[in-house]
Amino acid sequence: MATTELPLPALPEAHHEEPGGIVDYLTTVDHKKIGILYIFTAFSIFLAGGLLALLVRAELAQRGLQLMGENTYNQVFTMHGTLMIFLFAAQVSTGLGNYLVPLQIGAADVAFPRANAMSYWLYLFGSLIVLSSFFVAGGPAAVAWTAYAPLSTREYFQGTGMDLWIIGLAVVGVAGILGAVNLVTTIFRMRMPGMTMFRTPLFTWGVLVNQLLILFAFPPLTVVFALLFLERNFGAQFFDPTFGGSPILYQHIFWFFGHPEVYIIILPIFGIISEVIPVFSRKPLFGYRAMVFAFFGIAALSFGVWAHHMFATGLVYLPYFSIMSLLIGVPTGIKVFNWIGTMWRGSIVLSTAMLMALGFILVFVIGGITGIFLASPPIDFAVNDTYYVVAHFHYIMVGGLLYGMFAGFYFWFPKFTGRLLSERLGRWHFWTFLIGFNLTFFVQFLVGLDGMPRRIADYELDRWQPANLASTVGAFLTGVSVLIFIWNFLVSIRRGEPAGDDPWEGNSLEWATTSPPPSHNFHQLPEIHSERPVFDYRHRHDPAFATPHTDPERNPDRG
Amino acid sequence: MQPRRRVPAARWLAGTAVVLAAAGCAPQSVTEQGQAVYNLYNLFLYLAAVVFLLVSGLVIWSVVRYRRRGDDLPTQTHGNNRLELIWTLIPTVIVLALFVFTIQAQNKVLDRPAKPDVNLTVTAFQWSWRFTYEGTGAEVVGRPETIPELVLPVGQRVRIKLVSADVVHSFYVPQTLFKRQAIPGTDNEFDLTFEKVGLYHGQCTQFCGLQHPDMIFRVRVVTQGEYQSWLAAATRRGQAGQPGI
Repeated sequence: MATTELPLPALPEAHHEEPGGIVDYLTTVDHKKIGILYIFTAFSIFLAGGLLALLVRAELAQRGLQLMGENTYNQVFTMHGTLMIFLFAAQVSTGLGNYLVPLQIGAADVAFPRANAMSYWLYLFGSLIVLSSFFVAGGPAAVAWTAYAPLSTREYFQGTGMDLWIIGLAVVGVAGILGAVNLVTTIFRMRMPGMTMFRTPLFTWGVLVNQLLILFAFPPLTVVFALLFLERNFGAQFFDPTFGGSPILYQHIFWFFGHPEVYIIILPIFGIISEVIPVFSRKPLFGYRAMVFAFFGIAALSFGVWAHHMFATGLVYLPYFSIMSLLIGVPTGIKVFNWIGTMWRGSIVLSTAMLMALGFILVFVIGGITGIFLASPPIDFAVNDTYYVVAHFHYIMVGGLLYGMFAGFYFWFPKFTGRLLSERLGRWHFWTFLIGFNLTFFVQFLVGLDGMPRRIADYELDRWQPANLASTVGAFLTGVSVLIFIWNFLVSIRRGEPAGDDPWEGNSLEWATTSPPPSHNFHQLPEIHSERPVFDYRHRHDPAFATPHTDPERNPDRG
Repeated sequence: MQPRRRVPAARWLAGTAVVLAAAGCAPQSVTEQGQAVYNLYNLFLYLAAVVFLLVSGLVIWSVVRYRRRGDDLPTQTHGNNRLELIWTLIPTVIVLALFVFTIQAQNKVLDRPAKPDVNLTVTAFQWSWRFTYEGTGAEVVGRPETIPELVLPVGQRVRIKLVSADVVHSFYVPQTLFKRQAIPGTDNEFDLTFEKVGLYHGQCTQFCGLQHPDMIFRVRVVTQGEYQSWLAAATRRGQAGQPGI
């Protein structure tokens, strides 16, 4: 393959390296630094949310109220869900996307670097507004992260904490929309010459679809919070039936955001897995185009399934929402089989990143299959709002998101820092996480089937106790595994093995630059002939790989 | 009506409840409607087990069989349209079949023939329940500290009109494998036909504020004779202006 190295156009040498001090991070418009800020902020919120989760589990380990009263418990689980869903899960992948997307498409930065900085700072201050509710009279909101009206209206829940919750999340919502405009524009407009859409790495595809979903799903969220704010503070009656309002309206708008939110969270993770598995199987991704179409299939279906969260209301048309929700299993299944197809007859390297990706597949399949159960209204009638649902979405969220995120961290940490994370500690991290996570959540399926409702500080039945105790033990083991990861990070960032530019024999363009990349990202770029430019470049002298059959762009019926 | 004595009640319930079987089987249902859910759930479970074993088997097999053994690159396959078509079509067929079974079960669960045997209005409020036996004057009202008991006859179709006095709640008796939200401004109707005499645990499952965990109730399913005499006594109490609690 004829590969010439192109000097980057229009990037003057004067673009010198800045010192990485605090002032620099406060004023930066560099997408990589903003990405790091996002990741650190989101991870800090994850730790806070995790601490709240441990408080929940500690309280539930035994029957009766031991650690806190009902009000405190309600605040703790409300803020656990709020921090995890709104302020961590949807944001950490925005951080990874911020850092990696320009690198993967061969761009020097995002399309709107200043708007990018603004999204981050809005996100940070929105989060701080939400967190400030811990320090006001009455404490934070205690209405669950879904904040169903009328429970969340002033008539039933007073206190500034709830208003801070709404304002903070609305600000974070605006930040998300702004960030989405930026990343979508970047992916459409900033790809280097030769980087057609069908040569774009899957992680970038995942971020693209994820950000498109944000563009469509966050405005309704912001609207429903605005309505709730008006109802609480200015006597609007949107959700009050005695004034012609409707409590069910809140659920509709909320879940119209809420279900796409699940895919907002998980699509970039699909992207990460689709990067990690080919590299560590030393094969191209099996069915590249099918993967892309599956992304869009999931995204399109995700806007037609929201009311499966509302089967138990008795007020939605069940067959439509049931079949749409069941059908999401098809593109999701395609992805799983394509990942297996990628590993099949590969040359698999079990690095920690790969282990995390494999763990992802296994737990995600459990989460996905139980999602199929919940798409069936009669089954949903039985298990809705019990621990079965808690287990199901934690298999998606904790299992899917965290395994994928950790896979990404182990995979790209060398690119971010120039050093490798310790593989030995990585293995400890992986196995403690695998055991701890499954112990925590698998038993919740059982106790949920047995009828234990979610969001209760105390449970009445003795027979629910063993499962709850096991779950608590598992949760603390999961906590230990996260501490191992943090330890790994702290040790490796100082004394980790130097990584070099391309420690894993990567495929996409971020591996063509230094680790960490210079502020303008690339000194030189290879030509793009396929979705694996760095692979092509590495094998440019090998006649076996110099044929265009590796290019999905040129052979649209292959891959 | 019993005072809130948690441990003996729970022990009693533990005896009557079917502790779920291993491997996540749904608990046996005690209503006619719930039987359809139980069968549907098990169908899903068997299929799910097959899919999970297949996927995890393939993953583990790949990892074991195709571990890196040298520096040679494996064959760089990019896909296989026929294979991909197969693993698109088979899941599509499976979910369509599951949809058909879902609709069949759903029709049984939600069926409401013209004439039920008992008409009941259940009012959810923060944080207990009111059970009103329509046309009889009998009423049972609970408080967070006292668990209300819903007495129902075995083998009779009970039509429940579910309403809420304040926020969204959810009426749930685990062993019926059914629940329904109580939504302010909405009358929600469904039928339950209990097939087994017994005492069953029930609880609000939609988070409804401070004392949500205390919104517990019991369903006591009795023979029709016992039900009639209970109802007569409850009606007398109700007419005397002392609804039972």
